[in-house]
Amino acid sequence: MPLKRRALLAASLGAAVPVVGRAAPEPIRVGWVTALTGASSAPGIGFDRGVHFAVDEINAAGGVHGRPFEVVTRDTQGDPTKAVNASVELISRQKVVAIWGPVNSGEALATTPLVARSRMPSIHPCVIDSLIDPKKYPNAFRLAPANVQWEAAVRHYCLDIVKAKKIAIVGDTTGYGTTATRDSVADFQKAGANVVYHDLIEATKTDVTSDVLRMQDSGAEVVVPWSVTTGLLARLLNVRGARGWNVPFVGHPALGSGEVKKLLEKPAYWEKVYLIGYRSCSYDANGKLPARTQAFVDKLRGKVELVDTSLWWISAAYDAMRLVVEAIEKTGSTEHEAIIGYWNTLKAYPGVYGNYTFTPQEHNGYPTDDVVMSVANSFRDGAYALAPGYT
Amino acid sequence: MLYAIIASGLATGAIYALIGITYNVMFSASRVMSFTAGQLGMLGGVFGAWFIGRLGIPVLPGTLLTLGACALVGVVTEIVAVRPVLKSLDQHLYVLSTLAFALMLQQFVAIEWSTEPQPFPRLVPFGDALVNQRFWLPVLAALVVIVVLEIMYRRTLIGRAFLAIAEDSFAARALGLPERRLRMLSFAIAGVIGGLAGFAGGGLLLAFFANGPMLSFYGFVPVALGGIGNNRGAIIGGLALGLFQQAASYMVSGLFVSVATFAVFIIMLLVAPQGLFGAPAGRRV
Amino acid sequence: MSVSATPGTATAPSLRAAWPYALLLAAGILLPFTGNDYWGIIATRAAIYWVLVAGLNLVVGFAGQLAIGYVGLLTLGAYTTAVLCARTSIGMVPALAAAGAVGAGFGVLVGLPALRLRTFYFAMGTLGFATIVTQVALAWTDVTGGGVGVPGPVLPAPFDTPWGFYAACLALAALCTWMTANIAASRFGRAFVAIRDAEVAAEVCGIGKPRMFVLVFLFSGATAGIAGGLFADLQTYITPDAFTFDLSVLFFIAILIGGRGSILGPLLGTLLLTALPEVAAPLVAWSTFLYAALLLVIVLLIPGGIASLLDWRNRRPLERDRSIVPRPELLPELLVERHRAPPLAMRDIALSFDGVHAIDGLSLTLHAGEVHGLIGPNGSGKTTTLNVICGFAQPQRGTVTLGEATLPAGAPQSRASSGIARTFQTPRLVGEARVIDNVMIGGTVTGRASFMEAALSLVRHRRDERELVRRAAIALRCVGLEALATVRCDRLQHSELRFLEIARALMLAPDFLLLDEPAAGLSAAEIEHLGRLIRAIRDRGVGVLLVEHHADMIFDVCDRVSVLNLGRELAAGTPAEIRAHREVVSAYLGG
Repeated sequence: MPLKRRALLAASLGAAVPVVGRAAPEPIRVGWVTALTGASSAPGIGFDRGVHFAVDEINAAGGVHGRPFEVVTRDTQGDPTKAVNASVELISRQKVVAIWGPVNSGEALATTPLVARSRMPSIHPCVIDSLIDPKKYPNAFRLAPANVQWEAAVRHYCLDIVKAKKIAIVGDTTGYGTTATRDSVADFQKAGANVVYHDLIEATKTDVTSDVLRMQDSGAEVVVPWSVTTGLLARLLNVRGARGWNVPFVGHPALGSGEVKKLLEKPAYWEKVYLIGYRSCSYDANGKLPARTQAFVDKLRGKVELVDTSLWWISAAYDAMRLVVEAIEKTGSTEHEAIIGYWNTLKAYPGVYGNYTFTPQEHNGYPTDDVVMSVANSFRDGAYALAPGYT
Repeated sequence: MLYAIIASGLATGAIYALIGITYNVMFSASRVMSFTAGQLGMLGGVFGAWFIGRLGIPVLPGTLLTLGACALVGVVTEIVAVRPVLKSLDQHLYVLSTLAFALMLQQFVAIEWSTEPQPFPRLVPFGDALVNQRFWLPVLAALVVIVVLEIMYRRTLIGRAFLAIAEDSFAARALGLPERRLRMLSFAIAGVIGGLAGFAGGGLLLAFFANGPMLSFYGFVPVALGGIGNNRGAIIGGLALGLFQQAASYMVSGLFVSVATFAVFIIMLLVAPQGLFGAPAGRRV
Repeated sequence: MSVSATPGTATAPSLRAAWPYALLLAAGILLPFTGNDYWGIIATRAAIYWVLVAGLNLVVGFAGQLAIGYVGLLTLGAYTTAVLCARTSIGMVPALAAAGAVGAGFGVLVGLPALRLRTFYFAMGTLGFATIVTQVALAWTDVTGGGVGVPGPVLPAPFDTPWGFYAACLALAALCTWMTANIAASRFGRAFVAIRDAEVAAEVCGIGKPRMFVLVFLFSGATAGIAGGLFADLQTYITPDAFTFDLSVLFFIAILIGGRGSILGPLLGTLLLTALPEVAAPLVAWSTFLYAALLLVIVLLIPGGIASLLDWRNRRPLERDRSIVPRPELLPELLVERHRAPPLAMRDIALSFDGVHAIDGLSLTLHAGEVHGLIGPNGSGKTTTLNVICGFAQPQRGTVTLGEATLPAGAPQSRASSGIARTFQTPRLVGEARVIDNVMIGGTVTGRASFMEAALSLVRHRRDERELVRRAAIALRCVGLEALATVRCDRLQHSELRFLEIARALMLAPDFLLLDEPAAGLSAAEIEHLGRLIRAIRDRGVGVLLVEHHADMIFDVCDRVSVLNLGRELAAGTPAEIRAHREVVSAYLGG
């Protein structure tokens, strides 16, 4: 039976109820902090499917050292305050051995120093660079790219593959949009590119005609949008399409979201839109996934719904669970130091989503070269095709 | 460029003006400023997208259904959040009851509809030649509403009854006017107007649960500018606000548009608390 | 003969009222011994929210201003503290003080428009302020870190551990509770409530709205700023995302669920709303919906909030057949022997509303120790005359003088200190306050202690309160309402309210007392009591201006009578002369 959103929610709620009165062996608990409801819950729901698939697989194989593996889920609705409360609760009351999440940077900024205080092994996919600092937070690991890696991929594509000379950079007025836009402008300029336009647009602005006109007037040859607001992205693409302006959009993964597609006035407006993707979760020129990923997708078939989410969310969550289990099985301990110590020795650990490498000095585990650009309108079963120019 | 700014400025301005009129219609009948005004606009978009976009109902019946549903929400607002607090108007409990009801509407839509903006269907199959319909539809809607309201208030018996209630509800009741039914009718009309704001503006606003508070605020600005209860003032104030916003976002970074709007709003309020076309305050003792 | 007031059980805030606070504090102190970090952080959060809500409660619950955007001040405080700690070397304690100062400053900036704006407008204005703060925090990247934010500050040892920090927050929360409870029970707290429910009466009692608003917004801004600093510490890292509108709604709703004009209610409301989402975790998606539903239910079913549910005392039935028996013989205790005030005179006053002459060239002199009756048909300008004297109405021509001094028009709050008190045609009282508190409002200008002295319950404040309670008890005895001293005012009968207004006016020990139809709605026996009371007041040297329709009472009580018609004086003289005046008899007395 394919897992659907509601069933999943019910399952996660079930997992949230502490198990009482059951005889030994005591389960190994992992905390899972995420937004499952509310405005920014799409990634959380995707990751959640991977988490539950992994848990079921691990328990079907006899658990961890004979102990059942359990995930304690906490829905934060994307609210940093709720994320702080949930993290403390998981640590002090649920006695989890590690925490996976949160999956949105605003929440992670709030929870990271707090979780670091109790040296709880923590792994998350949030992009903001400052979240990872092995000196300040020796317990925190990132298994997805940092924002600098995203920006590097976008910059590489714009400058080296599209060979654009004049760049327009635009963000929304949220915390992420302002920061990413500012950093991106600085990095492009450092790389010697000519940033002819950069500005922030209110996320709720209903009409962006004048903004697109200004980009066009500036002579931009490529537009780099930094926004998770699907409404804004769709509005930009609609104006570009309506004006027949033929420059590529290269930027944030949200460009490829089904929510954006729904808002487009014509399907053609999704042409020449490239979003950040991952080599492991991209179709090559022949429409094939890498072998390792294909094997994983085969396992998912019939168990996890892929058409309305991203494969990378599912596979990254799956990898995170595997990393925790692996650490416990290899070290034979659920102690914080043991898990952190084991992760610090990983070298090109072959996950589904990527090959992770951690050292005591570097907790950004995802290889930059695996961050690529994908074609927005090529979405099929959770994955996109590689953008033109990659081999 | 100027053309684009004026087109979208007038269109968003017309939406704000319609929400302003929604406030006014509710206020005239009940002396209550209701936070639900913006939520009605949000619902107009969501109902429209649901009936016409998702369920595939043809445009004309879909429009009527949408406006009917919004009228119903208006009536429910009156019953649930307004009528019970009317007897203690001076305690301002209506601010709380309507805020609570508005939040409930918004959260319900967030959970049952979507937290992402959803597409809004095209309403007319023609008319995009010079200007896209999403720009002229709200302006047309605002014009129709103001003309219909003016005719109703001036020419019809029921319109005069509304005016009588707005003037002095106590005296109106003493004259034998069915004050409660007229008030419910007013809230139904307010529902239609608010719904129309979101419906005609659907192409711009999309069907999005978070539009409500935004519309509640920006729709209130024309009321504050034009003077409470003054519909023509609301139209002028709304259009001015729309143009101001578009011009501001062109001239300063998007980050400061709302700051500029709020700052101007507060300064205007302090300079002219009764609005630019409003009446002076009455006697206190 | 001497009547001593009986402070303690009946009037002063009693120890009995303190036990719920003691219980909560004890629970707070015992919490660390459970060793449960999770409840520790929830409790810390509740304590921090309460620091803000305690101050905001004075604004919303007492002064009645619907400030729904206080999250803006929390944000300011949080950023001030965090930025000062991150970018300078001053410690967190001075940074917190700075946050308090910034909060206080901006609190006044946000709050003062309330002087000009009506409720809904003000609410929208505060909302706008909250949005501006968030946008500025995003934009001012060099200082605030923009979307990435800044690390939160940390208190110095021993408050740098979770439980140490909890102890600091709990102590601050307890301090805020104590201070706001002191303010609430002071002349300032009563003045706020008077502004909320009986603004015009408050002005007549000499309560200046601007000054009171500055005080309350300074205080609540400071607590909000400090709460923001603590919030930043608790969050360990702050970004603009952390300061959601939901948080603002939570503060606001906590107060209203708690109940207006109460400290305990909003405190329980804050605890409830902080803990509720944790208990109801499975309902997290619906949490805002449920908050809103809860608010709606409370507004509709128990507008008084938790506080009204806890108010057992006022559910006891009152005695049915109460009769008001004033004891004018006690007046000398209140109106001690003084020099006679110079006459209060109106000279050639003219005033028109929209071209209609309300008063048209009226002169009138009121002497101390005299009852001056003012009669005339409806619309003849009687109440307008009172309003001119009290400074509510601004005449187009003419002056009001007290002896040599001209009384400024349009400044009603200045009249109390000139020794002028009045009552109203429809009694203007604070329904939700106790009878004795309503009386004490009348003595607001006699207090000497400052706002901070009241908040900290210093000697001068306690002396003020003792004196006010003593005098209020006497005033209540004078008018015969002493048995109802601790009853909520809205439970009284109409006739009792009329006498209560007189008691409030007497608190000022006025030189001149203006009574606007005090006998309306009174029984024959009560009118007689009233007449005796008025004469006794006159005998203490007070000049009484009596607007009345009861001709019998006018002729019985007054030393001098003026008859108004169409804003002009038709006749003036002794009661006997007026009774014989042909024009008056035909025009007004009707034979």
